[in-house]
Amino acid sequence: MSLDYVKFSPGFDKFMPKEYRDMVEHGPFGKKVTVSQMGSFKEILEEHPMCAGCAMTLFIRLAMISFPNPEDTITVGTAGCGRLAISQAAIPFVYGNYGDQSAVASGLSRGLRLRFGDKPKDVVVMAGDGGMADIGFSMTLHSWFRKERFTTIMLDNEVYGNTGGQESGMTNKGQVLKMAPLGKKFEKMDMVGMAKLAGCAYVATVVPNNPRRVESVIKKAVLVAREIGPTYIQAYTSCNIEYSIPTDKVMEDAKNVENDRYQFSEHLTEEAKHYLATRYGFKEYLPKPATATALPQA
Amino acid sequence: MYLVADINVDICAATSCKLCTQYCPEANTILYSDNLGKEKGLKYGSAYVAVDRCKGCAQCVWVCDNMAKHHAITMTMIDQLPKAAITDRITYLDSGGTKAIAAPVEVA
Repeated sequence: MSLDYVKFSPGFDKFMPKEYRDMVEHGPFGKKVTVSQMGSFKEILEEHPMCAGCAMTLFIRLAMISFPNPEDTITVGTAGCGRLAISQAAIPFVYGNYGDQSAVASGLSRGLRLRFGDKPKDVVVMAGDGGMADIGFSMTLHSWFRKERFTTIMLDNEVYGNTGGQESGMTNKGQVLKMAPLGKKFEKMDMVGMAKLAGCAYVATVVPNNPRRVESVIKKAVLVAREIGPTYIQAYTSCNIEYSIPTDKVMEDAKNVENDRYQFSEHLTEEAKHYLATRYGFKEYLPKPATATALPQA
Repeated sequence: MYLVADINVDICAATSCKLCTQYCPEANTILYSDNLGKEKGLKYGSAYVAVDRCKGCAQCVWVCDNMAKHHAITMTMIDQLPKAAITDRITYLDSGGTKAIAAPVEVA
């Protein structure tokens, strides 16, 4: 949980594997990196066993780059595709038993605040739609109502992709899947609405076909969760296996879905806007002057 | 044999949009080198692929064809690449960017 754990022990540097040496010497720890620098530094995420062309992996890769302080971040996840990649990253990962990731993160973020005081330590929950909206639903919602200060990111692929294609609460109505042959009977759950109702300080929906937008959304969510309150991001990360999307058409599908039902939306409380503007200099949230001063006439 | 992405340096170094580096789902697979294009007297550097990490999904081909409209990336059989970069031969530079020793692909 500090820059010390990304250093070599004295005398051991030449024996370390190349990936580790690259991470220490050219990793993002202690620096500011952005998505426009991708391909020129060693990333936190390593080789992972996720399917070729998976949009969830792309989102996780962008998320790892977007963390404001990767050396002070802990990710929490649960069963599902996402943790296969998240657990391969060079930042600590805590595995919550299926469904209790938000409860684990609550304890973790409270403990870190007791131990480190004002020094920011970020806890980020990244789990799938099944782990968050079905099995861990009560704990996700309760962490929001308790105003636990950590970021919750839902990797919404609208299906249980890891177990063969069962319907989840986030699947669209009428969708036929391999393990849901009659089609889903009820509507997609409105998790964004529930997050707003529960009082999340920052709520956003995003699709990974715009890397810069993903970066800005995750930066804001993690920063707001440091002091203001719970934050929630819902990201559409298609499952190209269960939805039979050819891998080279994954971004085309993301674009279509964004236009169809996953438009970018962002909701901030006034407190969060004020915090981002005054503490981190987000110009778009600075209070606008009440009346525009008229230009002097020539 | 299997397909991997292959980036045409002549087309890529003329524009250098870097979109493919941002859309690849694999970490550190499409990398960027400042010298690759400049050695050939072109304006910018070029992206290149670490072939041992490429899973052959062809997302970069769609991005290059439809978003950037440069048509610089093609899928090629790995034993038909004349030269390719692999992870062990890639060096990250202090100034940003990377340098790769590209060698003929060894096929067992």
